[in-house]
Amino acid sequence: MIEVVLNDRLGKKVRVKCNEDDTIGDLKKLVAAQTGTRADKIRIQKWYNIYKDHITLADYEIHDGMGLELYYD
Amino acid sequence: MANRTDPLAKSIHGTNPQNLVEKIVRSKIYQSTYWKEQCFGLTAETLVDKAMELDHTGGTYGGNRKPTPFLCLALKMLQIQPDKDIVVEFIKNEDYKYVRVLGAFYLRLTGTVADVYQYLEPLYNDYRKIRQKLSDGKFTLTHVDEFIDELLTKDYSCDTALPRIQKRWVLEASGTLEPRRSALEDDFEEEEEDKEDEQPMEIDEPNGREKHDHYRGRSPTRDRDRDRKHERHHRDRDYDRDRDYDRDYGRGRERDRDRDREGDRDRDRDRDRDRHRVRDDEYGRDRDRERDRDVRERGRRDRDRGRRRSRSRSRSRDRRERDREDGEYRRRRGRGSASPRGRAEDGGPRDEPKKRKEKKEKKGEGNAPDPNDPEIIEMNKLRASLGLKPLK
Repeated sequence: MIEVVLNDRLGKKVRVKCNEDDTIGDLKKLVAAQTGTRADKIRIQKWYNIYKDHITLADYEIHDGMGLELYYD
Repeated sequence: MANRTDPLAKSIHGTNPQNLVEKIVRSKIYQSTYWKEQCFGLTAETLVDKAMELDHTGGTYGGNRKPTPFLCLALKMLQIQPDKDIVVEFIKNEDYKYVRVLGAFYLRLTGTVADVYQYLEPLYNDYRKIRQKLSDGKFTLTHVDEFIDELLTKDYSCDTALPRIQKRWVLEASGTLEPRRSALEDDFEEEEEDKEDEQPMEIDEPNGREKHDHYRGRSPTRDRDRDRKHERHHRDRDYDRDRDYDRDYGRGRERDRDRDREGDRDRDRDRDRDRHRVRDDEYGRDRDRERDRDVRERGRRDRDRGRRRSRSRSRSRDRRERDREDGEYRRRRGRGSASPRGRAEDGGPRDEPKKRKEKKEKKGEGNAPDPNDPEIIEMNKLRASLGLKPLK
């Protein structure tokens, strides 16, 4: 289990516990459950890399405590 | 501003019609090349040509959520607000399915409830295929009737929140709408009649209702009865669907209630951690000693500097860690009667770094979640409801 931090820099910062073999899509669902934003309106990125839904956190080398950028669309 | 709404447009649902498309999606549309190149200066007539060229529906797609031409044209219609007759013609036309779908989508966004049902339900009989672009940019196959069903029963379609409409049976109960007659109903009737002709008087029919019918034989009221039965059957189906929705709704509520209970859970967790601390006491003893040395040393340094540092030390704590702890810290502090300065005196901050160290330690150990931690249990419950595996 790892815990990642997603910050939208507009006042919402969520910590989400997840597995490393979860996909970004799963992570979005968890974030959606915590924040109330629809999962398909969430975009997770790091700098200019927009993370794709079907790729796992391990493949993106997301580790425990890492921060990700949270955007909405 | 080139993107402003037609000044003659009437406000819909109490706002500017363009506001029916969410702000973020709207700005994406304004930025898109299709909007800038193809939708500039369109009128109700020229828009038809563009609508005829459509070859797929859908909302936004791709990593940066480009809007589909379908969505751009829908926004254009909201902007120029064509007459209702034009929209109805869009829906009634037989040749161009995407024009029909676009008209239906627009009517669903802007029309009154009665209009929506009146004009969209006949499209349930349109079984033509349409292409829909998914959010990942892939296409999928749907049909016009499926799309219409989505418009009539869901509250979200093509990345657009649809205005709420009453359930069909509400309108039927209030008399605004006639009960719907499916195109298949005639077929059903014919089939039933065929069946009855085949076996005219079978008494030991397993189905109770059928038997009832047969007992009544060929009374003159029979036809009417059957009609009513059909109707009821149909309406029952609608009710069923509604009940399904209600159940979903209820589940959502329940989850809310769970969230309300979060306060309790936090307290539990705190208590839990306290217990851990007690149990792990001897285990962390040498770490304690280490820390004691730290404190002593720091105390000496403080004395050397000849300055009180008890407050500023807690300020200068590593920022990231403080962020992590902040919520709990504040909560705990709020519950305890001690003021921040009071705590510094009664040995409060002593506990603080120890707990933090413990937490870090726990994370270091392969990150295995404690299965009894209420937070983990909660998280696993949530994951189960989303169809995910439990936390490892």
